[in-house]
Amino acid sequence: MDTDLLSDTFIDLADTMVADFDVIDFLHMLTDRTVRLLGASAAGVVLADPRGELRVAAASSEEVGLLELFQLQNDQGPCLDCFRTGRPVTAADLAAAAQQWPRFAQAAVQAGFRTVQALPMRLRDQVIGALNLFRAEPGAFDPADLRIAQALADVATIGLLHERNVRRRETVAEQLQAALNSRVVIEQAKGKLAERLGIDMDRAFTMLRDYARNTNQHLTDVARDFVASGTTEFPPSARRQPGR
Amino acid sequence: MTDGRIQALWGQVAAHAAGHGRKVSVADVCAVAVSSARLAGAWLAAARGSDPDFVMCVTGQVSEQLAELQLMLGEGPCRDVLASAAPVLAADLGNAEFGRRWPGFTPAARQLGAEAVFAFPLTVGVIRAGVLVLYRGSPGPLQDRQLGDLLILADAATVMLLDGAHGGAESEDGSWVDGQARNLAMHRAEIDQATGMLTVQLGVPAAAAFARLRAYAYSQDRRLADVAGDIVARRLRLPRGPDPARGL
Repeated sequence: MDTDLLSDTFIDLADTMVADFDVIDFLHMLTDRTVRLLGASAAGVVLADPRGELRVAAASSEEVGLLELFQLQNDQGPCLDCFRTGRPVTAADLAAAAQQWPRFAQAAVQAGFRTVQALPMRLRDQVIGALNLFRAEPGAFDPADLRIAQALADVATIGLLHERNVRRRETVAEQLQAALNSRVVIEQAKGKLAERLGIDMDRAFTMLRDYARNTNQHLTDVARDFVASGTTEFPPSARRQPGR
Repeated sequence: MTDGRIQALWGQVAAHAAGHGRKVSVADVCAVAVSSARLAGAWLAAARGSDPDFVMCVTGQVSEQLAELQLMLGEGPCRDVLASAAPVLAADLGNAEFGRRWPGFTPAARQLGAEAVFAFPLTVGVIRAGVLVLYRGSPGPLQDRQLGDLLILADAATVMLLDGAHGGAESEDGSWVDGQARNLAMHRAEIDQATGMLTVQLGVPAAAAFARLRAYAYSQDRRLADVAGDIVARRLRLPRGPDPARGL
């Protein structure tokens, strides 16, 4: 493991968390760093919606194929098993996991992945989601690396339930729903920007995020302002112009 | 893992409407929400902008008074849920946190007999359709299952309000209800992305774009997620509709 990158990651995470920050942007950074630190091909954070679904809050790539793999896991897969048991779930070779998760294993292999690792995101007795790692090559992740990844998953949990120590149990549910709605706002903004500029969703996400960082704004606020404004211009050159 | 629950709840909403010999409305959603989570009452307010400004239904006198209280005081869970787009689950109004948070609303609500208030935003991303609020005469948290049911029912109320406001309401007969349950079954990124794309293609606000997307899927008898997937893959563009785009 690249120890410089590891120190930088914890410094960046700590820097983010002492200030006011955007939850989705934070989780996105965390999936990016997890991929680089563990030599994974992709990573994602899924959250448990009380409606009975696992929903993607952030992924290292916004590719449709990867998002679909998370979606599939509402029926079967390591993510779902990890969420249900609250324990890490390892699939060291998906080509051999067809019996365990027939549909998921096939789709993951088709998408180019052979290894999946799911790590629980826990707050006391409650499992609120999971951090998922994908790798193109078969073979389990190094146990020492996984301890680091679990620490990152724990940081993600704390970041997600930010702002205050969670005194009321209800606060967890409230903040999870806020994060999930932020994610919807960002998807709507990606769609608007992708259509406006004729670009793909991954590129649209990067533009929104970079603009938010460069202007020192929350990603969700940038996305909300863009979708809610009557103009299709991005970045917004002037203040909102109602009744264009 | 969630489809069955959604179907069951929509079925209850439809049955409630049929039992009263009327077409399905948000009033039926309120009634089912109250009974499924064993609460005392509910109200639903539609929102334009950031304030809940039009009470559409109440299940009883106390609900009505609680709704009026918030409009009058300009504070309370309704306003908070629209601002944060997240539920406010005040399981015990006796908790000092709520006295500080809503100094006017909390004592007045308790005087009316409410000890727990649960408020849900009727939102889809940037789209704000209103709020659904429920109360109970005794304090205590919602069970996980009750919370899930109320979120699903809030989704149902959201699409009813949006379809109704944007001319997409095919709720003249019960078939509309049957057709919608499956379209709520999954949150899909493509549905949100397609909504954003349609704001540009159709030149309309997000709420109208979302309603058009749903109306199109309904008219073609296709799943919402599939239609959205075609739009995102740029295999499908929706024509600028006969309903004039307002304002923008």
